[in-house]
Amino acid sequence: METKTHPTYATLSISIKRYPRAASAIFQTYNDLLLAQQWSEIEIVDLPTCGRCGFRGRRPENPNTRTCVVPCSLAETISMTWLKSAFGEFEQPEEVFLAINAEDSSIVYYKLSTGITKPPV
Amino acid sequence: MSSVNQSQSRGNSSQKKGGRKRNENNVIYANPLPITFSRVENRFTVTALGIFGISPARLLKPQCKGTFDPITRSVWITDPKDRAILWRRGFFGKGNLSRSEPSWLVRQTNIRTAVGRQTTSEEVTAKRRAERKQFKLDRARGIAAAAAEAESAFAEGRIISAEETKALIPSAATWKPSPSTQNVTLSFLEQYQGAADLDAEPLEDMEHMQLTFSEAFFLTWALDCLSIRRPNALEPMTLPEIWIAFQTTHLPPHLQAYSSQESILRPDNPFLLNYFFFHHYRSLGWVVKNGFAVVLIPVYEDARDAESSPFSLSNSEPFTWQWLSTINRVNSQVQKTLVLSYVTIPALSRVSLTELTSPACFERYSIREIIIRRFVPARMRD
Repeated sequence: METKTHPTYATLSISIKRYPRAASAIFQTYNDLLLAQQWSEIEIVDLPTCGRCGFRGRRPENPNTRTCVVPCSLAETISMTWLKSAFGEFEQPEEVFLAINAEDSSIVYYKLSTGITKPPV
Repeated sequence: MSSVNQSQSRGNSSQKKGGRKRNENNVIYANPLPITFSRVENRFTVTALGIFGISPARLLKPQCKGTFDPITRSVWITDPKDRAILWRRGFFGKGNLSRSEPSWLVRQTNIRTAVGRQTTSEEVTAKRRAERKQFKLDRARGIAAAAAEAESAFAEGRIISAEETKALIPSAATWKPSPSTQNVTLSFLEQYQGAADLDAEPLEDMEHMQLTFSEAFFLTWALDCLSIRRPNALEPMTLPEIWIAFQTTHLPPHLQAYSSQESILRPDNPFLLNYFFFHHYRSLGWVVKNGFAVVLIPVYEDARDAESSPFSLSNSEPFTWQWLSTINRVNSQVQKTLVLSYVTIPALSRVSLTELTSPACFERYSIREIIIRRFVPARMRD
């Protein structure tokens, strides 16, 4: 088994071919959201200014809203402009999750909100 | 073997449960590496040959199979027996849908069945986080109640002492999860089960184990217990092929098309640095994983190589005080000691192309380690 013959490759092949540098992050984040986090109705959102595609779907804990995720890798440096353009291409959601992928396939999700937001508790 | 017997005798005391668990772990994780030695039954043969300094025990090497995946820069292991051997003997690899050991299938099965659950580490973490969330909610409620009490007391002209205020707010040391918390987590699981019961098909394991290039090369070259194939290939890759392929994936996409060795082989390829680092610490007996508190800092012997390099190696620039302080603080908070590991990359002029075609080039690299700890005058005596 490898990425190209993996069942989820068919859905991601266009994005992986278009953005080869972010291919690893895209593939691993999609599989984690679909299979481990059990998100439903995941759609792929093209983010050309960020040089990759993002995802939007429903979390099991929060099925009434569509949550947005941008994948990136631990080795990359990202700027505030990059993040702002991600928010823009998702059409200004309240919050976006940044999926930070490590080389060994560990993923850490950071929640980013526009402006200063107080934590819930 | 002696440590196993000691745990068994201690098992009769009140620590029976802990002793049995430790006992099991000592048996499951007994081998530090995948290679083992065969047992020789005939004690006479052992003693007789031992006089000549020969051991009749033979080296047993498990033949595991992996698939090379350039997109995720890893080697995939799908066979369950191979996964178990590599994880249990040396903690090699990581499940791509789990935090460490591949446990996706177990977690999915747990969600679907309430009986005979095997608890996984992810579930233990989830339970701990749910309890901590409940504690925070209780604490917030306690703080609000204390504030309201103080307001009303002020309005009446009463004075409330500090002890009374503190009594209203729960502290982390003494808080216990109430039965209502457990009901919340249970009802959440039942919701899941309700949805999953409709789908009664047997689960296919969608997870595989992923080895980093360093781990895969170590198992193939140093221990000879892994064979790596390209996808759709019948024959396993030879060591020279693996050597070149692993380095090529680190090149930017536009350079990967070139097949000439001069353009591919460079002493500062991230694979070479990572492997050298991995091999050094594995040889010392450490298990090297992502998030290891040892930071790899590459040092170029010849500064011109840094400028002509197609790789942008992280940490190769002189680092700032902010970076060092941040890393040091984060590591101290999780109780890890920070070690800076300086790996010197030989100059291109000093290393010949023939050397770069095999692991012989590692002779040219060197490593220096520096341990950094925060000095807190109030807490330290020397």
